[in-house]
Amino acid sequence: MAQTVMIKSNKYGINLILDPNIAFVDLLKAVIEKFKESEKFFKNSKLGISFEGRRLSGEEEQKIIDAITENTSIEILCVVDNSEESAEKMKAQIDAYSEAIEREYAKAMSSSGEFYRGTLRSGQVLESDASITILGDVNPGARVTSGGNIVVLGALKGNAQAGIYGDTSCFILALEMEPIQIQIGNLLAKSPDKEKKKRRIAIREKKDSNELQIAVARDGNIYIEPVSKKILNNM
Amino acid sequence: MSEVIVITSGKGGVGKTTTTANVGTGLAQLNKKVVMIDTDIGLRNLDVVMGLENRIVYNLVDVIEGKCRLKQALIKDKKYPELCLLPSAQTRDKDAVSPEQMKELIEELKQEFDYILLDCPAGIEQGFKNAIAGADRALVVTTPEVSAVRDADRIIGLLEANEISRIDLIVNRLRMDMVKRGDMMNVDDVTEILAVNLIGAVPDDEQIVVSTNQGEPLVGSNSLAGQAYANISRRITGEEVAFLDLDAKQGVFSKLKGLFGRN
Repeated sequence: MAQTVMIKSNKYGINLILDPNIAFVDLLKAVIEKFKESEKFFKNSKLGISFEGRRLSGEEEQKIIDAITENTSIEILCVVDNSEESAEKMKAQIDAYSEAIEREYAKAMSSSGEFYRGTLRSGQVLESDASITILGDVNPGARVTSGGNIVVLGALKGNAQAGIYGDTSCFILALEMEPIQIQIGNLLAKSPDKEKKKRRIAIREKKDSNELQIAVARDGNIYIEPVSKKILNNM
Repeated sequence: MSEVIVITSGKGGVGKTTTTANVGTGLAQLNKKVVMIDTDIGLRNLDVVMGLENRIVYNLVDVIEGKCRLKQALIKDKKYPELCLLPSAQTRDKDAVSPEQMKELIEELKQEFDYILLDCPAGIEQGFKNAIAGADRALVVTTPEVSAVRDADRIIGLLEANEISRIDLIVNRLRMDMVKRGDMMNVDDVTEILAVNLIGAVPDDEQIVVSTNQGEPLVGSNSLAGQAYANISRRITGEEVAFLDLDAKQGVFSKLKGLFGRN
């Protein structure tokens, strides 16, 4: 017997091929079953969807989508009309959707910057959707997270996460850059393991290289470099 | 006006109890009326360091539960009658006391004493909360080790969150020979990280172990650690005292120089 439901997936979503010859109720059951089987594969994914092989009314389409979202962790972003260049169309629609989300985040981020005065000590967490400036140190064990940029007018010795909504154009700037970990967007960098050398020498060196430094994401890596006019212009 | 000072560190084994015993005794030497409260319920040892173990009849929990009057539980020091100890219970745990009860007890003690010193247990749980409940000042003790400094930093954050704004730092167990070799953080490194007022630095001293075992605080003695603790006690009262030169050779001359010459 031919399958009543088939899932074809492309780069941007899934294409459901439905049997035109069975009752809609049975079809719905088959869809649910099919998606439960492949639940793990599609786990938490955000997809576009298109239908093929059977004409569906708007109501029927909605029923199928509801069935999928209720029974799995898949999020259906949009329904795409089935046609020859469906992949391209899906991409265009999904792009439009994610652009809208990004616009919202950008709005939240550019709305304002915040200031915090004081030293963040071990165990303390400072969170903000906007960019944040800290007038003080961030000690080891403390954490700063921001939807935008982070500026530490002091020593950054703890953890800092900038652009937590995925914006990799954010930067982290500190007078003394000695973080344990920094994160920009979804990129994470940890400080290199300590080299075995005499501490006193290490302290000396630290004080010599005491200059304003900036962490930026570029080509999937996080770079820490001295602040120069060139870098600031490129931002 | 009496002052309530909690001695705390976060990490264990850095010298909270030793500091409490020596600062308490040091303040008593300056003719202040002092009471030391051991808040480490279940793991008491301030009484041992003070050499008062065999005089304990009632303890902190007995007072709070109303089994005895406060006066009955206070133990007078062997040398200084103005110095008292309120020992903790050994057979109970930290939950036997609440922060509110501690506050009440401290209010009662304020009537009688100039300084109330609270010896805090290690950690940040119930015992710590009890100890800081009634305090208006804190002495944070740390050693020049990364782990101890990290915990001290956390503790300072918690103290600030509990609105104890007057926080002083004691760097304990300094070994100048190691600092010179670059194997140990020096006092400046520690204060740079913690960014609180330094009230004293105490060198690592064999005599501390001896005095702890004998149950007699060495504050005011000729040893460097004894002098350091005496100076800390004076600074607590508000006196300006120059810092010791911990580097000095242990000769009579340099000891005198350490006492008088470093102004």
